[in-house]
Amino acid sequence: MKTRIVIAAAFLALAAALVLAARPHEPTADERVDRITAELRCPVCQGLSVKDSPSETARQMRDLVAERVREGKSDAEIEAEFRAAYGDWVLLSPPIASWSGLVWLAPLAAIAAGLLLATARVRGGAPINVAEPSAAQVAALRERVAREEAAEG
Amino acid sequence: MSAGDLGAAALRAALFLALWGTGAAAYAAWRRDARALVSARIAAGVGFGLVVVAALSMMFALATHDFTILYVAENNARETPTLYSIIGLWAALEGSILLWTAILAGATAYVAFRGTAAIPRLATTALVVMFAMLTFFLLLITTPAADPFVRLALAPENGNGPNALLQNHPLMALHPPLLYLGYVLTSVPFAYALSSLILGEGGDRWLVATRRFALVSWALLGVGIVAGAWWSYAVLGWGGYWAWDPVENAAIMPWLTATAYLHSVMVEEKRRLLRTWNLALVIATFALTILGTFLTRSGVVNSVHSFTQSAIGPLLLGYLVTILVLSVGLLLWRSGRLRDAGAIGAPLSREAIFLFQNVVFMAAMLTVLLGTLYPLIAEAVSGAQLSIGGPYFDRVEIPLGLALLFLMGVGPQLPWHGASRATLERQFTAPLACAAAGALAAVATGTTATAAVLTYALAAFVAATVVQEFARGIRARRALHAEGALIAFANLFRRSGRRYGGYVVHLGIVLVALAIATSQARTVDAEKTLAPGETLAIAGYTVRLSALRSVHEPQRDSVVADLEITGNGSGSQLHPALVQYPSSASAVGSPGVGAGIRDDLYTILAAYDQKALSWATIRMRVIPLVSWLWLGGAVVGVGAVIAALPAPRRRIARQLPLAEAPAPAK
Amino acid sequence: MLSRAVRVAIVVAMLGLVVTLALAFRRDPHDIRTGTIGKPAPAFVADRLDGGGTLSLSDYTGKVVVVNFFASWCLPCTQENPALVRVYERYRGSDVVMLGVVYQESRDSALSYVKRMGINWSAVADDDGRVALSYGVFGPPETFFIGPDGVIAGRHIGPIDETTLITGIEALRREATR
Repeated sequence: MKTRIVIAAAFLALAAALVLAARPHEPTADERVDRITAELRCPVCQGLSVKDSPSETARQMRDLVAERVREGKSDAEIEAEFRAAYGDWVLLSPPIASWSGLVWLAPLAAIAAGLLLATARVRGGAPINVAEPSAAQVAALRERVAREEAAEG
Repeated sequence: MSAGDLGAAALRAALFLALWGTGAAAYAAWRRDARALVSARIAAGVGFGLVVVAALSMMFALATHDFTILYVAENNARETPTLYSIIGLWAALEGSILLWTAILAGATAYVAFRGTAAIPRLATTALVVMFAMLTFFLLLITTPAADPFVRLALAPENGNGPNALLQNHPLMALHPPLLYLGYVLTSVPFAYALSSLILGEGGDRWLVATRRFALVSWALLGVGIVAGAWWSYAVLGWGGYWAWDPVENAAIMPWLTATAYLHSVMVEEKRRLLRTWNLALVIATFALTILGTFLTRSGVVNSVHSFTQSAIGPLLLGYLVTILVLSVGLLLWRSGRLRDAGAIGAPLSREAIFLFQNVVFMAAMLTVLLGTLYPLIAEAVSGAQLSIGGPYFDRVEIPLGLALLFLMGVGPQLPWHGASRATLERQFTAPLACAAAGALAAVATGTTATAAVLTYALAAFVAATVVQEFARGIRARRALHAEGALIAFANLFRRSGRRYGGYVVHLGIVLVALAIATSQARTVDAEKTLAPGETLAIAGYTVRLSALRSVHEPQRDSVVADLEITGNGSGSQLHPALVQYPSSASAVGSPGVGAGIRDDLYTILAAYDQKALSWATIRMRVIPLVSWLWLGGAVVGVGAVIAALPAPRRRIARQLPLAEAPAPAK
Repeated sequence: MLSRAVRVAIVVAMLGLVVTLALAFRRDPHDIRTGTIGKPAPAFVADRLDGGGTLSLSDYTGKVVVVNFFASWCLPCTQENPALVRVYERYRGSDVVMLGVVYQESRDSALSYVKRMGINWSAVADDDGRVALSYGVFGPPETFFIGPDGVIAGRHIGPIDETTLITGIEALRREATR
């Protein structure tokens, strides 16, 4: 009974922690700049985001994003401005609402197919009930281990 | 005879021996001819020696700046320090293929001598496969496109020097060889698996024979990846260690399938299940190492590490296709013989969890593969140019990683065949409480990212299961053998190294997970242009630019910012710099990193006044727990060593009847 | 024994992988098209490098405009400069305008470069990089061809030669007179 209470309390605490962490909060301007620049590809780097890159170009892009955020532009408007200049290439993950968004479906499909195949194997097996070894069996085993180890030196 | 002549001749002689060895080993396997086997062994041994001679003569040519060799002229200069000269062997395409070939020749010699002595028939056929692969690489390295010993008619006064990024940090001496060792050693399990398929063995002999090889190559790959992340962190100057760059992806993919394999192998050993699957995993792991080599060496994808566009791309693709056709064809053809003995029982059994874990690993690998290739596919299909980078991989791989972390805590705690309710309560009550404590601690310290909170919870969960296992093991030993706690602890490793070494590996992964989650969620950065004497404040630290000076060294010129960091009870000096090598067009940033157990101070000299050195733009990142990542990598390595060390008395335990087949319930 | 469906799936996946990789040879990962071709050229007002006030792209509506992004630290820029100078002389006084935009460089070092290299066409500063960013520039040198209608007709990455310049300009002039 005590174990059950501990388990229930643990699950409750976990849920509470996650709810606390995930509570919505209004992003500050800096957080918005970080969020937007993390999605933009730095044109002069090798696959780095504008947020991460120390290059001059990335710094200019961060300044531009910060200015647009101050002007009250939405994330989508700011993104559109960069897409107009650099094409979809500038986005580090393809938009979901386009044919290239198919790339988002693939992992889900892989997981679903894999789980289906795996559960088919698990269910396919004849259920084997395994009993915990009895105290006598455990004692016999231990004695044997001790004996054989002693024999080996 | 110059070093270049010697190396070139050695490679050509080795090619002849590899061809000879392929034939001799094939004859030995076919006719079971002992003399042909001896001949193949000699070819393998001498061939290995010759390739080593070739590699050493290249190192010698680099160290002595022998610019009559094109490779040396392109990747070395008189001013290059000796260490960076020698490791110039893997600084560019041709040299790194030479290193690869040398390792492969070593593995071939190992199979020829040790392997064939242990299981003659299986290993002799595997030796044919090894020789065939070695022949390919020797052919590759003696074609003009990848020949490291191509000569120049007129030796230049001085060489171009190595790529600036590759002579900036001593980790370059460690990371590529580790990674290549990991890559190449996957070929041994692959060769045995193929041999088993060719011979039509339905059994598990190939797997038992190569178990340690699989573990060692996996560990080298893993440690090599962490070393690479560390190099990237210390050199590339953006304060990160992983960018989902194609080369990083190429390294992580075989590691993912190899990790899946290390677990599903246990299902085959204990339960005689998943035989086809394990063969498929070994083939996939090996094929992915070749795919990665192709991606990064052919110039089809853009990457920090990709060598220049090269003519060897089509050859490598041909090699990959041959391997896929042969191995997948064999697997499909022989799959009829690979019958599993029985079936997986309950969903809450260790084998079922390992199976689910395998599914997640495969999904993770396929996602990385798809993400890496998707820009190629999109451009081929529609001409559209698009990018797949960090945001995509993070969104997909982080949930998969969390699922793996969870399964890592669950799997080892469940018995084979299935668990009773009592077992579940016994195994998971304390870890669940720890998970809750971990989540609450994360929230209490201000973590707001859900993924990070989950990581803390799962890390605590896994760590608790591991501690619980050790505590129970020690208690059992003390009760049984009257040992002291420390002796009992050491004996757990000595007597059941594979199991407890595995737990140590899991602890290492927990450290890595904590490092990633914390550094991703809680890094803060700031940037400011400072005149000498001015300061920048960030996360409780104060950075003062005390001086900006230019430094001249024979092989490079640098501008160094001297920074004084105070605050949070620490005081230190950091020296980020911008370094100009004669060989590169633009200056290379060299970050100043103050490493600490709690956080790293990562400083970058982003820009400076080129005229009077009167100001500098300093970018500073405070990256918490990032050093736990390197630490975690080392712990994984130590755990793997414990698991790989032979345990002489383990056999006794396995002979116990109950461990093999538990008594069915009445 | 694997089911037929699984076998077929494996073979198809392998084929797809190999075809993708083979197709990739046709691709040059360094050739990146920007999104600005065929669209109205982004307008800008920028300071003249010689201190003579500001310059607005809209002043040149109805003319063929060649916009060249350059910097003195960029080696290919110095390589292409003679071609630019010759083409400038050739069209001097016509309806063809050449504009230089400084890329990530301080004004005074760019100005001394302009004087040294005989750049007699208008050059403007772009201190915060806004012009380069709005044109989708990856790095200097890059050259854009803007038609009399104000639409970007073409773009050249890397050092440009005389023939490419003249071909691009003449195509736009013919279009304008038609």
